[in-house]
Amino acid sequence: MASPWIYAARRLALAVPLLLGMSVLVFGLMRLVPGDPAVVVLGYKATPEGVRALREAFHLDEPLPAQYVRWLAALVRGDFGVDFRQNEPIGRMILDRLPVTLELTLVATAGAALIGIPLGLLGGARRRGFADRATLAIGLVGVSIPDFWLGIMLMLGLSLGAGLLPSGGFVPIGESVVENLQHLVLPALTLALSRAAVLGRLSRAAVLDVAQRGFVQFARAKGLAEPAVLFRHVLPNAAIPIVTVLGLQIGYMLGGAIVVEMIFTLPGVGRMTLDAVLERNYPVVQSTVLVIGAMFMLVNLATDILYGVIDPRVRHR
Amino acid sequence: MRQPLAGLAIIGVLALAALLAPMLPLGSPTDISKDLALGAPTAAEPFGRDDLGRSLLSRVIHAYRVSLGVAVTSALLAVVVGGPLGLIAGYAEGVPDQLIMRPLDVLMAFPAVLLAIALMSVFGTGAMLLSIALAVVYTPVMARVARAAVLATKIEVYVDGARALGATVPRLVLNHILPNAAAPMLVQASVLMAIGILIEAALSFLGVGVRPPTPSLGLMLADGRGFMVQAPWMVVFPGLAVMLAVLGFNLLADGLRDWLDPQHAAGR
Repeated sequence: MASPWIYAARRLALAVPLLLGMSVLVFGLMRLVPGDPAVVVLGYKATPEGVRALREAFHLDEPLPAQYVRWLAALVRGDFGVDFRQNEPIGRMILDRLPVTLELTLVATAGAALIGIPLGLLGGARRRGFADRATLAIGLVGVSIPDFWLGIMLMLGLSLGAGLLPSGGFVPIGESVVENLQHLVLPALTLALSRAAVLGRLSRAAVLDVAQRGFVQFARAKGLAEPAVLFRHVLPNAAIPIVTVLGLQIGYMLGGAIVVEMIFTLPGVGRMTLDAVLERNYPVVQSTVLVIGAMFMLVNLATDILYGVIDPRVRHR
Repeated sequence: MRQPLAGLAIIGVLALAALLAPMLPLGSPTDISKDLALGAPTAAEPFGRDDLGRSLLSRVIHAYRVSLGVAVTSALLAVVVGGPLGLIAGYAEGVPDQLIMRPLDVLMAFPAVLLAIALMSVFGTGAMLLSIALAVVYTPVMARVARAAVLATKIEVYVDGARALGATVPRLVLNHILPNAAAPMLVQASVLMAIGILIEAALSFLGVGVRPPTPSLGLMLADGRGFMVQAPWMVVFPGLAVMLAVLGFNLLADGLRDWLDPQHAAGR
């Protein structure tokens, strides 16, 4: 129990039933769609031949459990099936779009951490100072701004107004690093601000919490200089909850990316999901929802495990 | 105590305005007028007019009916469904706990916005369906909060005392455990209402929330996007309106947390 490896293995083992549960939920949900899924997917273009072909392609005539097992078996092999509209393998479509979403999420996480954590730490270290007030204000306002609206406002001010940055679209990093980053600045900032607010509030609270502890008071009592108290005793201990919450924010951003990709016309998995929802393209919705959900779950799991590694007390719970 | 009052005041004013909207001296939220289209804000029409000449102030206030309605309904549904599930799971522990909480974990394993979009893709659009979809997303959150509160409360000495005096299980849970579990649930409900305002706006904006003729802040933002250079007020005011409501619920949640849990407040 004490070894971080055993703790990690135990948490990983719990992820398997969770992933299975998620696949059942997504599968079941898409079967709840009223009407014949084949007709729904084909829409007004439905012809009897088309419907029959689709029913065969998706094995819609089989009993539900058989359909589920077939789908799951294919998923395990990495086969997400074929999109009936574009006639393209869904797995391929997701792989093409995943780098965009991942890059957006990573840049936004870095942004949120760079803005939120220093502000919160400063605020916590100097109570009632400027940083403290700024953290509290940003903390409250930042979490109250709808991120899609922030995106629109940033676009209006910085790209359509001042013409500083492109208002949408995407350039792969392989083509031009500079243009790639230019296209990511606004979407990443949009995603980052509310998360920076959360991180700022939490970092502040973490520093305040640790600063009250006995070992910090002892360090001060023995005459240790204030910077040394801060860097050697307060910050390392405050880092534990901050790392955890940072991990949770990455997961949150995977959800937020759907909206942001839509506004800034980024070709990511989030936009693919939304387009598929609006087109009622259920085979695609089913796959992308499961992929994003699985990534979200795995990021949270990794955070949990990391938490257990850096804070041995957690492993004993 | 200042913060919950500030939050309560904001929500109270917005809710009152929304409820009384048809009686307030506002322009019609639906009357179309070509001549007034894209009118800039004036003293009489402080939020300006949209591309169809409709009063934005009137539309914002009418949209709060949907916004607040969805946020409050979904949070209440989550309390009504998730609360008892959490109470039972926490009190019984063991097998019932596993049977209740493991399926709920599956719901929580998805990002909230994604799950709400997936549910709406199956349900179709509309304010009532959106409230139900959000309630599904929130139920596991509420169940976890209730369960954690029960686990912490049921080992208290006064609960043992009541049990020793022969209190029945329903009496123990309802009279002795629930009052203590209610505080964190109340705080969580206000947080969920804040999130509900945000998600309603986002989903309606994306076209998977409320259906068009209903005035909704998200739909107004979606309309305004096409005109944001000529008529920035079409996107500025509905967005500020969303923010104000979310801020109100967040202030309320923060304040309630401090008020109900003085230990937490001491660290602030």
